[in-house]
Amino acid sequence: MISKKICLLGAFSVGKTSLVEQFVHSIFSDKYLTTLGVKISKKDVAVDSVAVTLVLWDMEGKDTYADVNLAYLRGAMGYLVVVDGMRKETLQAAMDLHHLAEKLSGKSLPFYFLINKADLVDQWEVTDAMLDSLDKKSIKFFRTSAKTGQYVNEAFNALARDMLLASRA
Amino acid sequence: MAGDLNAETAAYAPQGDDVSCGVGDHGGAMEATGDVRAEFWQDIPDAPDDAELNELRKLLLRREQIALEKLVRQEGEKNYHIQQVSDVIAEAIIARSGRDSQLRMAIEPIVDATLKNSIRKRQQDFVNVLFPLMGPTIRKSIAESFRSMLGAFSKSVEMAFSWKGLRWRFDAWRTGQSFNEIVMLHSLVYRVERVFFIHGDTGLVLAHMEGEGVGSLDAEMVSAMLTAIQDFVRDCFAKGDEGALDTLRMGEFSIFIEKSNKAYLACIVRGTPHDSFRTHLRETLELMLVEFAEDLDDFSGDTEAFSATERYLESCLVAHYAGDNEKKLPLWAKFMPVLVVLLLCGGTGYYWYTTDRFNTTMREAVQTLRLEPGLVVSHVERQKSGPWKVLALKDALARLPEDVLRRAGFDPSLFEIQTIPYLSYDASIVTKRASTGIDVPDGVEMTFDKGTLSFRGTATMAWILETREKARSLAGVEHVDMRDLRDPRMGEIAEMVRKIESVRVEFPVNKDVPVPEDTEKLQKTVDMLAVLEKRVKEMGMVMTLTIYGHADATGTEKRNYEISQARARTVAAMLYARGSSMPIAMYGMGADHASGDGGAGSASADRKAGGSVQADRRIEFRVYLARAVPAGTEALLQ
Repeated sequence: MISKKICLLGAFSVGKTSLVEQFVHSIFSDKYLTTLGVKISKKDVAVDSVAVTLVLWDMEGKDTYADVNLAYLRGAMGYLVVVDGMRKETLQAAMDLHHLAEKLSGKSLPFYFLINKADLVDQWEVTDAMLDSLDKKSIKFFRTSAKTGQYVNEAFNALARDMLLASRA
Repeated sequence: MAGDLNAETAAYAPQGDDVSCGVGDHGGAMEATGDVRAEFWQDIPDAPDDAELNELRKLLLRREQIALEKLVRQEGEKNYHIQQVSDVIAEAIIARSGRDSQLRMAIEPIVDATLKNSIRKRQQDFVNVLFPLMGPTIRKSIAESFRSMLGAFSKSVEMAFSWKGLRWRFDAWRTGQSFNEIVMLHSLVYRVERVFFIHGDTGLVLAHMEGEGVGSLDAEMVSAMLTAIQDFVRDCFAKGDEGALDTLRMGEFSIFIEKSNKAYLACIVRGTPHDSFRTHLRETLELMLVEFAEDLDDFSGDTEAFSATERYLESCLVAHYAGDNEKKLPLWAKFMPVLVVLLLCGGTGYYWYTTDRFNTTMREAVQTLRLEPGLVVSHVERQKSGPWKVLALKDALARLPEDVLRRAGFDPSLFEIQTIPYLSYDASIVTKRASTGIDVPDGVEMTFDKGTLSFRGTATMAWILETREKARSLAGVEHVDMRDLRDPRMGEIAEMVRKIESVRVEFPVNKDVPVPEDTEKLQKTVDMLAVLEKRVKEMGMVMTLTIYGHADATGTEKRNYEISQARARTVAAMLYARGSSMPIAMYGMGADHASGDGGAGSASADRKAGGSVQADRRIEFRVYLARAVPAGTEALLQ
């Protein structure tokens, strides 16, 4: 059996918890987020018929990432950084969190950016130009919607695949 | 010999170039093997040192010389290499093992095959070697199984009969839980319900195991959360502290965490484990860290390699029940409660049985007393211990209550009987009383029925008269019936009395001496009275004679009384003169008075019928018989 620890990062109110609630399985209440600063969930995915259990560490989103409990990032094998498409400042926070994670792990871990709230794309502050710049930095992203489920599963699957490849390398 | 050598060298001829080549290649080694060659030539005699001969030798034997030198060199090289390899082989193996696993992989099949071959060939040797190692382990395992089986059996026996067991059964009934659950809850000191082997950095569960009957849990999430909690606690409260969270408690549950920098063990425990459990946890973790060191270092999410941790995790799933360490009771002590219950039941039953029997016996005894004639049980007092108290009325003629009980088969000492005297009118007692009070002679039968005491048969008149009085005074006797009682001598006496009373002695006018024709009659009557008196006396009786004197109507009344009195007196005097001692009453009746009972007829009536008045001048006798007064008691009569 293969298990992977992944972290869900992102600024406050970007919709991380909504993503998790919709598409993953959890036995713990949301209260943990505010008490422990983390909520554990689980998602089973299959990559080329290999079952992979993703153990999600949904980290409490804060405006300032300095307060993120970095200890929770330890041992992560991949991560998702969530951005609120309607608030461009969350993209910057995501970048900061991404750098922090990279720095902390000391190596390049598989990761994806999830530009969330794709169902309200017309109200987005995050522009295509900003996304292009992500491309230039080789940052892969999905336009997701916790509401419609758009690209959520795809994002988890892609991350799982990348992590499997990384561990085989 | 030479011919043989030539033939061999000829056969090698086509390879000559190769040989030359080979010699050149290993030139460097030749120098090093010089001493080997010297050794080779050691036992071979030197050839004569002659220039021409040497030249000839070169010409003739050059090929052979070269081949020979090559052989010598090869031998030297082999020894040289052996020497060289033996110097470094151990270090080389160590070095290569450290670098990769190829050496191990290369050797493994050989070692495996050798080992198998060796075991197959020398089975007994292996058995001899392994037995001392495995024997105790197997014995221990078997003994453990037996002990736990016996333990379970004795525990269930103990539970079934002990007070605690009964109370738990009551609890089970009251709460609706099964008895087994109640027993477990009460006797469980601690039980490790789950154990997780968790990767330190990722918090991913590497392996986990649950105790029997423990529901499943999402191990991945739980282990991640446990890791998160530890991180949280450390970061919030113990920043920079090297220590780690080792115990979490919640009610009767606690989580025991034994941590290392690579991985940790977390046990969910119900109850409070001994300190030794923590030690066991630490030792187990250390063993696991050694065995799975590489797997832990290389961990990238694949938990396959850690399925082998099962035996370690299993050893952590321990349970300890109350009484496990208690001093083992001997078998008889375990069955003691059963014995006590049986004895109590038996004892109570026996007590009930005997008490009931005893009470029945006592009641029967009292009933016997009640049925006894002449006894009236008025009060019975049951004592808690000691004899029962009985108060009874008792006729003097009744049997003693103690005798009554003894004869009926009861123990009189069980009673304390107090009696009050009374007179019983019970038929049997009255009969007894009559028998005691009346001396019934032979020939007399006495019976008592419905208040009447009856006699039949023959007896003396004196006895009859005496008995009549006695019988009437007996308590309980209402009537005395003596109609069938006879004195055979009474007939004679009665006849005599009848004759005497019918005698009429007549007197002349105004004379107190009988007429001459009646003098003899009077004389005969007096004789008869004497005989009668004697007979009466013989029967223990006394007789009284009354003589009535009569006068005719002529003359004065006064004279008539005087003459009638004188006539009675004359006859009495005649009797006394003949020695009679009986009391004689004399009455002068005057003229024309019949005697008291008229038994002798009436002179007046005769006269009216034309008879002589002579008949009025007469005397008459009346005889009364009575029981003699016992001797010495005469005075009482006066």
